[in-house]
This record gives sequence, structure tokens and C-alpha cells, in this order.
Amino acid sequence: MEPVLEIRGVSKAFPGVKALDNVSFSVGKGEVVGLIGENGAGKSTVLKVLNGIYKPDSGGVFIDGMSANITSPRDAFDKGIAMVFQEQLMLPSLTVAENIFLGREEEFLKYGLISKSRMNVAAAIELSKVRLNVAPSTRCSELSFADRQMVEIAKALSLDSRIKGDVTILLDEPTSVLERKEIDLLFEIIKDLKQRASIVFISHRLEEVLAISDRVYVMRDGKVVFETTAADATVKGLHQHMVGRQLHNEYYREARQRHPTAVPVIEAQDLAKKGRFSNVTFTLHEGEIIGIAGVIGSGREDLAKCLAGHTAIDAGVLKIGGKPVSFRAAYDATAAGIGLVPSERKIEGLVASFSVAENMTLAAIPKFVSGCVLRFALENKTARDWVDRLKIKTPSTGTMVGSLSGGNQQKVVLAKWRVAGVRVVILDHPTRGIDVGAKEDVYELIRDMTAEGLAVILLGDTLEEVIGLSSRILVMRDGEIAATFNAAPGNKPTQVELVGHMV
Amino acid sequence: MGAVLSRAAVAKMPLLARWRNWAPVAVLFALCALISILSPNFLSLANFVGILNSAAIPTVLCMGATFVILMGSIDLSIEGIVAVSAVLVSLLVDNDVSTYSIGLLAVPIAILVGGAMGFLNGFLHVKLKTPSFMTTLGVGFAGIGIATTILGGFTARISDQSIRYLSLGRLLGLPVAAWIALGAVLLALLMQERMRFGRWVYAIGTDEMTARHAGIPIERTRILIFSIAGMFYGLAGVLSVAQFGQGHALISQGRLFSTVTAVVVGGTSLSGGVGSVLNSVIGVFIVTVLANGMILTGVPPYVQQGVQGLLIIVAVTLALDRSRLDVVK
Amino acid sequence: MGMRDRLQAYVPAIVLVALVAAIGLYDNTFFSSGNLLTIFADTMTLFLMASGVTFVIMIGGIDLSIQSVASLASCILAISLPRFGFGAVPLAILGGTVSGLLGGLVSTRLRIPSFIATLAVSGLVLSAAYWLSAERSINVSSEDSDRVLGWVVGETAGVPNEIWLGLAVLAILSGLFGLTPFGRLVRAIGSQERAVMASGIDVNRTKVAAYALSGTMAGVAGVVMGARLGSGSPTLANEFLLPAIACIVVGGTAITGGVGSIWRTFVGALIVQVVRIGMTFVGVSAFAQQIVFGFILVAAVAATMDRGKIFVIK
Repeated sequence: MEPVLEIRGVSKAFPGVKALDNVSFSVGKGEVVGLIGENGAGKSTVLKVLNGIYKPDSGGVFIDGMSANITSPRDAFDKGIAMVFQEQLMLPSLTVAENIFLGREEEFLKYGLISKSRMNVAAAIELSKVRLNVAPSTRCSELSFADRQMVEIAKALSLDSRIKGDVTILLDEPTSVLERKEIDLLFEIIKDLKQRASIVFISHRLEEVLAISDRVYVMRDGKVVFETTAADATVKGLHQHMVGRQLHNEYYREARQRHPTAVPVIEAQDLAKKGRFSNVTFTLHEGEIIGIAGVIGSGREDLAKCLAGHTAIDAGVLKIGGKPVSFRAAYDATAAGIGLVPSERKIEGLVASFSVAENMTLAAIPKFVSGCVLRFALENKTARDWVDRLKIKTPSTGTMVGSLSGGNQQKVVLAKWRVAGVRVVILDHPTRGIDVGAKEDVYELIRDMTAEGLAVILLGDTLEEVIGLSSRILVMRDGEIAATFNAAPGNKPTQVELVGHMV
Repeated sequence: MGAVLSRAAVAKMPLLARWRNWAPVAVLFALCALISILSPNFLSLANFVGILNSAAIPTVLCMGATFVILMGSIDLSIEGIVAVSAVLVSLLVDNDVSTYSIGLLAVPIAILVGGAMGFLNGFLHVKLKTPSFMTTLGVGFAGIGIATTILGGFTARISDQSIRYLSLGRLLGLPVAAWIALGAVLLALLMQERMRFGRWVYAIGTDEMTARHAGIPIERTRILIFSIAGMFYGLAGVLSVAQFGQGHALISQGRLFSTVTAVVVGGTSLSGGVGSVLNSVIGVFIVTVLANGMILTGVPPYVQQGVQGLLIIVAVTLALDRSRLDVVK
Repeated sequence: MGMRDRLQAYVPAIVLVALVAAIGLYDNTFFSSGNLLTIFADTMTLFLMASGVTFVIMIGGIDLSIQSVASLASCILAISLPRFGFGAVPLAILGGTVSGLLGGLVSTRLRIPSFIATLAVSGLVLSAAYWLSAERSINVSSEDSDRVLGWVVGETAGVPNEIWLGLAVLAILSGLFGLTPFGRLVRAIGSQERAVMASGIDVNRTKVAAYALSGTMAGVAGVVMGARLGSGSPTLANEFLLPAIACIVVGGTAITGGVGSIWRTFVGALIVQVVRIGMTFVGVSAFAQQIVFGFILVAAVAATMDRGKIFVIK
């Protein structure tokens, strides 16, 4: 029997990264298919291709065996595919009914006006499918978070009463924002749904995926690496497939990994931020690299932003160099000696239209001012020094940074913080979008920094990177530190051990 | 991306939303109470009729402006469009400068002209992909220029009684202009609640990406909204000529400021997606009653602008949705 | 800076030369030195108004209060001249600075978009101007004017003083823009504010300074206007908002921020003035000119803005 929905040989690349590499998978009628993998494995991208948000660079989508060209989410809907996103997209000012039928109000028109009563009646039917006891005329701003998620799901489900033929519902991490009993309810609904629809389900919680799915695909680095039925799968086995690759300890310059000193630079005690993380306690020493591993939603990115002063913590004590601090904004953090190398280089790391020298001195302008005037000669000399030290490939220090390659741009960002003389560098996905050779350069630079006594907090792109570089690893899950590992050279934890605590 | 809402933020929402909706009404009542204490004349029927008269044109203007602001845009062309419409009307009916005399036919013409200029606003904004504040600023100034050119520096005094009736006449004891304004409000309400583009305005104003995903025709809706706003301004132009008995290019000077103040004070959010035309009606009354109160209590008229300025600042500051804008320009 | 950007930098200057040539061809009395000097001098007032706002537009904001601020400055000047003599000038300029500061603080501390914040401040300033002038225009007596304001209305070395003043301002502000940390931060914030914040800089301080500068220059413009017209009034500078913004944008500074310079505003001011005079020469009425300006404004913005920067255009 033809699968209801299938993708064959789909590839999709974005600048600097190949998100999907020749991916093929299929969903049968009435089947629940689970999709698992690490961050960046490509799971969400696959769904977005199915939902018409992305167009594949090659390969195709097939509905009921026939080739389909899905141009937009609305088009996907009309063809029988609906998606529930990870972020909530309910519009607060509109009612439940209006949200469910957003963009599809034509069917309720009478003399050009929307018949609210008919829309509400239709909405009530959809709401009953998700057992949500809420009046369709309620404004979404008045609903609880969980109820809104249910309305999202009802919106996707409204597909099935409107499309002839088979329907597929795509769920991207639907449970990460729900509580236990809401999750149980969701699973019951999914079981009901199986009679009428096929489902693709993404979650970082493996037990959930195994509990609800018929078949499971594992993705890694944009490829599908494993397929199995849920009955035959084991959690440990799946972990193995999620991580796969071999570690090359030379790649991460493990030989240069130093033993950290005993001098504490950052002392964090019970840091918490409502809805993001809690009970975060750790100490970072000079010369140490602490790697933080975790999936999206684990709270690690939020923690990094708080440590760099971009957002405020709600509770807990943070001490820098022994003194308690409270950051109002990033400028307080940099004054305390903390610099963040952000994941979005072009937006938060660099001013693209500025030169190399201008970017390098951006965090330390007072050092380059005499009277009221900028000291251009000193700036250029400093920039030249760092270009040499970090082996940055640029025609000159006056070149616009936006024209450099990703790897060289990242080196400029690192140089900026070295010029500013920070004590701690927080690296948020430092090698994202950088080619292999440049990555090695960056690892070398990170080792240089620790050799000079700087301390590093690393949010690595891959588990491998985190393990290879760090002296110690914190694994975060759902906002808390789930496990701590020592990672001395030669005695590193395995990826599987880490993954076990992440998902 | 998306109206990303954490659990914590959403938990707070229901109470705040309700407070927000009623705060402007509470402010209005408090204001009326305060003024009637300071000056008992406030509560007279004559004064009430005067307030209705003063509020008529701003109300009509706000109906148009509210839609634009709900969508997340801004319309700085109000004065220009009203000027063009007013000048045209004053020259097309019985007046002392030209020989035309088309009577009430001028009303639909004014509305259409306003709509055409609004269309231009939307078209330039969408096709040139230029922010609305720039395109409407340009069109607005051009409008004043057009109006001045047509009149050539003169002022046309009208003698057409049917037009003047629109402002001076009384129907069931209340000014005709107030009835027209009421009609405008009801029409705007109908569009906002029961027409598709009215609901789409909220979607676009909250999160354009979600709206696009849902298949809403964003560009067409934007142009439509600016055109409709222009039509309301055109109507306001007619009422202005009716009220002042003459048409000239600066007839609506200062209206932009008071219109935006009224919309914001009424509770419609500048970032879009929150508010309604009814909110703006309350806002108009707050501004009008405040002005009335200042006159009754002997405050010099030029202080009004300063007070309105303060009012805008307070109203926008208290608006609780700016957490969505992390970089404010 | 790519090839396109570099070429684009010269477009305004080329346009200016072309315009002057075109008008000169049409009527060569245009080229008389007296005429050119007068045009140049008239341009200076506009340039002064626009010079400060350039900084605000460079950070990505806008200042809709400059005309009220200039008018206020003219009122302060006219009223305080008899009593304070020359002291009236810094007093009037200070009025501008305070107004600018107010707009900047309201926008940054209260996180209100600049066009609303400055629109609101404009109302406050207007009220202040009306109150100060008791709602009428105030004349500056000719003795006071000769005594104190000669440096504005007179001539030095055969060239009207306004030109010297304008050139001085051009030099000082260009220096401020190109040589100081403030200027660099203004450019940086306009290009990529989040990166500047992430680099540990207090952007609000720079922003408020930009608005204060805008108010100050509007104040200076108000003083010059008041001196030239011999009177101060609350509506003196009302006609100048649109042309001032036009100068900046036509000169090639993008309203998206980050790109531009004071020189561009200067060239833009010359273009605006030449277009205006050119239209008069050619016979377009003063009223119609405003229509033309409205459309020039939109066209210039559309041509110069960087759409890559703004995801959703509202």
C-alpha cells in the first residue's frame, strides 16, 4: 500500500550548513512515526519541508504516491498536511474559533460577513476532538498555556473534517511545554486520531516517542541513520544511533587541555529564571572549560545569556572573582570581565559593515581614545597584532568584516574579547556555520585562551565538541542540571552517557 | 519568530487583558467626575452637546487610524488627506470662489478621493517596501501641497446649506455630525468584527509570519486598510468643511497629534494586534472631555498640546506589550 | 563597502551638479555670484536644522520635534535679548538641548518608538513656546540685532556669515562623526544595535546624546532663523520639518540607519534648495513645490533604505 506521505532524497542547505542530506522517509495510513535526533539533526527542517515552509533543493514530496509541490503552509493544509509548531502561534486578540479557522473563513461567509455563530459551532466540534472544554468565543488571551496548545492541536486536526482523503498531522515537540496529565491526554487523543490520520511526532524524550509511535526514524547531521519499529527498539540502542561518530582527540587538541587552577572565577549558586532554568549551581575556575550539553529547551542557552548579562536571573547568587554581582545589562557583565561569543554572529557578534579593526576594538573603545578623539593608529596596530596572532585571513584591518568567511569572522569576535581583556569567554555554538579547517583553528584558539588563564563556558554545537574540549561537562535537561561529568583528557565520557541524561 | 510566549507570561495574561480593557473607561469616568467638581457647568446639556460636536470629527478620523495602527503601521497622512477632501468639497458646492454646486454629491466624492489617497499610501508602502511612517509622511505633505495648490492660497467660504446642515443641524436634539460619527463607528465595528479583513488586521498586527502561513493575503489587506482609512479621513474632510463653513489646506492642523493620542489613550497598542475601534471612541472622549475641561476651568488653549503630549507618553508607557519589542528605534 | 555602495555615495553630488547645470542652461542669470551666494546662505539654515537630526536618523530613529524646538529657540532668543544681550543665544540653544534630551530620555527610558516620543515632545515644546511668547510673535529690535546678532546676519570678507557658520558646523559635526567614539557608536548602533549591546556598550547613553544633539542644532537653527527674520514665534519653523528630513534622505543617508554622513546632509540640503529655487525659476508655484517634495521624499527613502535589515516592513 502506498504510504500516505513520503519524502524521497530530499536535501536542503542553508548558508554554511547542510540541514538535510538525501533524506527519505515515509508515513503509512493510520501510522504514528516518531522522529528523533540531537539538535541540528534536521528533524524540524524535515517537518518544515513537509509543511511548505521550506522548498527542498532536491528530491521530492509525495502524497499518496503522487508527486506534490507544496508551496506554503496553507497549500500544505489544502493538501492534507497540518503542523503544530514548537512555539505557540495562537493570536491572543482573536477568539478560539477565529484562531482555528484563521485564513479559512470563507466557509462561514453570509452576504460577505462572517457568521460568528456558524464558526463557533464548527469550532466546538473541533474542540470536542481534543476534549477541550472551552467556549469557542473565548479570546485566546484568556486561556491557559496548556489550553492554547490544545487549540493549536485542534486547529491542525480541523484538517480531517475538511479534506477528503488522507491527512497527516505533524507535531514538533508538542509535549515540551505540557505537564504530565496534559501529555497523557494528548496521547489519548493521538490514539483516537490514528483511525483517521497519520502522525509524525518529534520529541527529545525517547520514552514518549517509543510509547506512542509505531515506527521510529533516527536522524543525525541531516541524514536518516536508522529506522526501526517501536516494538524492536531500545532506548540505549537509539542513543547509539543518535551519536555515532568517532572522536578524534587530536581534532580537539586534547593534548593541550590543561588542568584548571583552583582560582574560582564564576561561582553560581541556585541560579533560576522562571520558566527557563532553576537550581543551577557550579564553579568555574581559571583555565577551565566547562561544557554545557542539552537539547533546545534544556535552558542552557538561557543560562548563557544570563551569565553574559543579556537577560536577568530571577533568583540565586552569582559571584565573579569572589564578589557578588547583579547584571542590569551586558555592559555590567563586560565590566565584570565576561564576554559572550554569540551563536548569531552576524546579528550579535559583529557589526557587518564595520572594518576588522573597528569590530575588534568595539568592546574596549575607552582604551583607544585620547581626549575625545579615537586613536586610529593604535587601533590599527592592535588589530594587525591580533590578525597575525589568530591567523585571520583578511586583505587588511580596514576590510569590512561582512566580507570575511565565517571562520575568520568568528576569529574577529574572539579577538574583540581578547582586546577587551575579559576573564571569562562564553562560547555559544562557536563553530556553527564554519568549515572544518576553521573549526580546528578555533579549537586551537580556545586552548590558547585557557593557557593564558582565561576561563571558558562552552555551549557546543555537537556532543563530540563538548566532550573533546571541556574539562568538565554539565548536562542540562528541562531547565535543571541533570548530570555532571569530569572530562580529563584520556578519561572522557562517551556521547551515549551524555545523551542518556539529555533526553 | 512567532508570538513566543512562556508559560509564565501567559499565566499573567488573563487578568491584565481585562484590566486593560476597562482602564480607559475608568479614566474617562474619573476625568468627568473631576471636571464636574471643578466646574459644574460640565454637566449641562448644552455642554454635552458641545462635547459631542467636538468629538465628531476626531471619532471619524480615529476609525480610520485605528485600523492602520491595529495592523502595526502608522498613518501620518491624516491632515493631508483631510485637507484635500475638505478643499475639494468646498470648491464643489455653493461657494464664493468657484461656480460648482453639486450639493450633497460632494460627500461620496470626498470619500472616494480620500480612499484614493489612502490607496496611494498603501500602494507605495507595499510596492516600494517602505515603512508606513515614511510613505504616509510623504503623501501627507503632498496632500497639503495639493490642497494649497488647488485653492491657490484662497479660502473658499461655502454657502451650501445642505452641507452645513451636516454639522449645524440637529436630529432628535443631537448634532447631525454626532449621528454621522455614530454611523461611522458602527460601520467600523462591523468591518472589524464581521469582515474577514477586519480579523486579518489583528493577525497581521500580532505576527505577520503566522498570518502569512495561514494564507492571509498580506499585501492586499495592507493596501485595503490604508484605502479604507483614507475614506474615513475623506468623510472627516466633509464634516470639517461643514463645521467651519470653509475649506482651506490647514483645516485639520493638529489633528494627527490628537488622533494618535486618542487611539493610544483608548488602549489600542502602537505595536499592533491589540485594541479596537470602541477603545478609540473612549480615547476620543477622554481627549475631548479633557480639552473641554481645560476650557471650563480656564486653562489657556495652547497648554492642550502639551497635555496631549504627556498623555501619549503616559498611555504608551503603561501599555504592557512592549516586551515584544526588544530593540526600540 | 561594495562597488555599488561606493558609486551610490557619489550620486547625490552628481545630481546636484546636474541640477545646477540644468537650471543654469535654462536661465543663466542663475549663475551670478550674488545669486549663488544667496542660495548658499539660505541653504545654511536648512542645513543647520538637518545636521543634528542626521545623527538621530543614523541610529535608526527619527525626530519629529525639530520644527517646534527651533521655534521655541527663536522665542527664547527674542524674549531674552533685551535682558541678557548675547547671553540670549546660549540660552536659546540650551532650550534646544533640553528638548532634545527630553525626547531621547522618553524614547530610551520609557522604550517608546522615537516617532511617538518626539511627536509627544513636540507638543510639549509647542505649548512651552506659546506660553513663553504669550501666543504672539515677538520682534527683535534692530539695535539689539545689530549689537548681538551681527555675527549671524552680517558679512565677513564679502561672504554672508551664515555660510561661515554653516561651514563651521559642517566641520565640527563631521569631526564629531568621523573622529570620536560617539560618532562611531552612532554608526554602529544604526547598523547593528544588538551587536553593540552585546559588546557591553550602554547604547542608551549614545542614543540620548544623539537626540540631545538634534535638539541643540534645532536650537541653533532657531536662533539663526530668529535673527534673520528679526522676530521669534512659536510657529516660525513649521515649514522646515519636511525639507530637513528630505535633505538627509536625499543626500543618501538611509532611514534604516548606519549609513550616511554629515556631508551627505550638506549636499542634500543644497539639492533641496536648488530644486526649490529651480522650481520657482521654472514657474512652479510655491504650493505645488510641497507636493513635489512629498514624493521626492518617498522616492529617496525607497531608493536608499536597506531592506535586508528589516524583516517585516510595517
